[in-house]
Amino acid sequence: MNSRLSRRSLLAATAGLGGAGLLTGCVGTSGSEGGGAAAGGGGGGGGGGGVVFQNSIQDTAPKAALEALVQAYDGEVTMNSVATEQFRAQLTNYLRSNDPPDVMSWYAGSVARDYAAQGLLLDVSGMWEGDGACAGFSEALKNLSTAEDGTQIFVPTNYYWWSVFYRKSAFERWGVQPPATWDEFLALCENLSGQGVAPLANGIGSTPWMASGWFDYLDLRLNGAQYHRELLAGEHSFTDPEVVAVMEQYERLIPYFDPDMGSYSAQDAAVPMAQDQAGMYLIGAFVTQYFPEDQRDDLDFFSVPVIDPAVPTAEEAPTDGYFAAAGTSDPDATIAFLSYLAAPEQQQAFIEQSGSSNLPTSPDVDTSAFSPLVQKGIELLNSTQEITQFFNRDSSDALQTTADTALTQFLADPGSRDRILQEWQRAAEGVFGQ
Amino acid sequence: MSATTLTPGTAATPQQWRKPRRARSPWLHVVMVPLTLLWLSPVVYVALIAFRSFDDIAARGLAALPASFTLDGFATAFSGGGLVRALGNSIAVTAAAVLASLALSSWAAYALSRFAIPGRKTILLAMLAGNLLPPQILLVPVARISESLGIADTLFALVAVQVGFGIGFYTFVLHGFMRGLPEELFEAARLDGAGAGRIYWRIVLPLSRPAMAALAALATTWIFNDLIWALTVLRSESKFPITAALLNLMGGYSSAWNVIAAASLVAAVPTAIVFFLFQKQFVSGLLVGSNK
Repeated sequence: MNSRLSRRSLLAATAGLGGAGLLTGCVGTSGSEGGGAAAGGGGGGGGGGGVVFQNSIQDTAPKAALEALVQAYDGEVTMNSVATEQFRAQLTNYLRSNDPPDVMSWYAGSVARDYAAQGLLLDVSGMWEGDGACAGFSEALKNLSTAEDGTQIFVPTNYYWWSVFYRKSAFERWGVQPPATWDEFLALCENLSGQGVAPLANGIGSTPWMASGWFDYLDLRLNGAQYHRELLAGEHSFTDPEVVAVMEQYERLIPYFDPDMGSYSAQDAAVPMAQDQAGMYLIGAFVTQYFPEDQRDDLDFFSVPVIDPAVPTAEEAPTDGYFAAAGTSDPDATIAFLSYLAAPEQQQAFIEQSGSSNLPTSPDVDTSAFSPLVQKGIELLNSTQEITQFFNRDSSDALQTTADTALTQFLADPGSRDRILQEWQRAAEGVFGQ
Repeated sequence: MSATTLTPGTAATPQQWRKPRRARSPWLHVVMVPLTLLWLSPVVYVALIAFRSFDDIAARGLAALPASFTLDGFATAFSGGGLVRALGNSIAVTAAAVLASLALSSWAAYALSRFAIPGRKTILLAMLAGNLLPPQILLVPVARISESLGIADTLFALVAVQVGFGIGFYTFVLHGFMRGLPEELFEAARLDGAGAGRIYWRIVLPLSRPAMAALAALATTWIFNDLIWALTVLRSESKFPITAALLNLMGGYSSAWNVIAAASLVAAVPTAIVFFLFQKQFVSGLLVGSNK
């Protein structure tokens, strides 16, 4: 043992210590960022024979309802549930894998179309004709499920609607009525503000996409669904006077939002409403799951009031469903399983058991047993002229990110609107240029 | 240690004995007790949520003090058996990966530290350099390789990946430690006719026990808590380890926080047990080789 050796070991140990810290850091970050960063894909066999059903349904009750359906299916199905964000990141890898899962749950619209354009989705046109499971679905749903080449690649099984939700008992206590016009709506916000209630709940902290809800609706009300779709497809600029008009209306709402919305998630933001500290919430019908059991029947909603009567009415109704991988090893079994999921009996069972406020896509579902809220939702969507999905579903996840950045900045600092819109347009051009 | 270095002037032994005692004034506790409470607060917070009912959380918020006490969260977390199965997967993967990586890296470290292998410094640095790459950039290659090898979506693949990524660091630490073992021992063993294998088994391994135990403890926590590799190589829900299963409990739109909190507590138990069993080694592990 000489002194040189011991000094060297000491150095080694110090380096080791540093390495340990570094590695711990790596492990820590990789754990928490797993959802977004993981781009790798699972490959290989997803479980012996039968249909492999990869899905992203996570919310407790809907998941249990889907599991029950799969269990009742007369055929071999392996169901794998993967957390939504992870599923989103892995989907391309699933589809591109040598032995892809056969059936996958995902969103209708541009996302599915993109995959179809890459030749990754199974053509399910057969289900849409003759006595196929989807033959009776509405024309709008068929268009939504149709790829650019005219074939159907998606099987929609349920959808939900967006609206302004409120609690009937709270409105009674405050002595207010649901508004019929935009001016009434603003007056209602002013009134609630005066009563010490935050008129509009929102949660854009960990769920920044919630800020797009109001953007979508204001754009639909001011410029119409056609313009909205074109804007999200990159045919208009975010610096257009039309978008500026949307932002001007949005700016009028800012003082009425819950001042804590920046730190809430979509779910947290429902708590002040449950406590009568917030009045209304523009959100999807999944909001019913946020409330305690005994308050769910108290919930009601009204559509975002018309601003310009000349603009055709439109509602957001994101559609969920399934598509199949083009590389499936057993197309017949895959289609049989898809047909089972799309059949009216299964849709009805799913909606009844899941407890979330979903609407059936099949016209043959007996809706009489559904809750009054769902009945009202069906009526709303039947009476509207145009149906859109949601910002990310009408465009892409990449464009959604640009909207999240722009809108959260705008909500915090509406004075910099023009600069923010310019940056948004630049970011959007980057997305479309890819 | 710090107390004696603070008073370099004092020479007499009895005084040195008294000094550290005075340095142990209440300040240690005054500072450490609140710090400890601060460190514990997230755990307490999660525990409080785990025992609340969903309606209580939905009506009064996550941060409110509990107004309900129920075991529903635990019951829901355990129902369906998913959590138990995931715990089983995690424990199997962790045990296999820790044993395999320590065995392999101790062989490598023994060879690199005791034999004149050409380019051993380069080998060692290359092994360590792999650890400096962020795992994210290797996700796609690992997914592709495991798929082309036909081992994707198996627990074996996960163990292989964990061993592969851990071995460089473990070898580096063990190499430092084994180099510090006195050469005389090896000479004596060789004089007694022991071969390389026997020396490894009878001398190197027993003497490296502290370092191995420390690494075992660290590796167990790392591998048990890993999420990213599990999600990269696995696809079937039935093979998911506990971390991925926990992620699955998060809802797409709404989350039953009481269930997630309950499941998180359950998931933390194995690592907590390992930590308490190996507590001494955890601390000594940070000093591996430093006092040789």
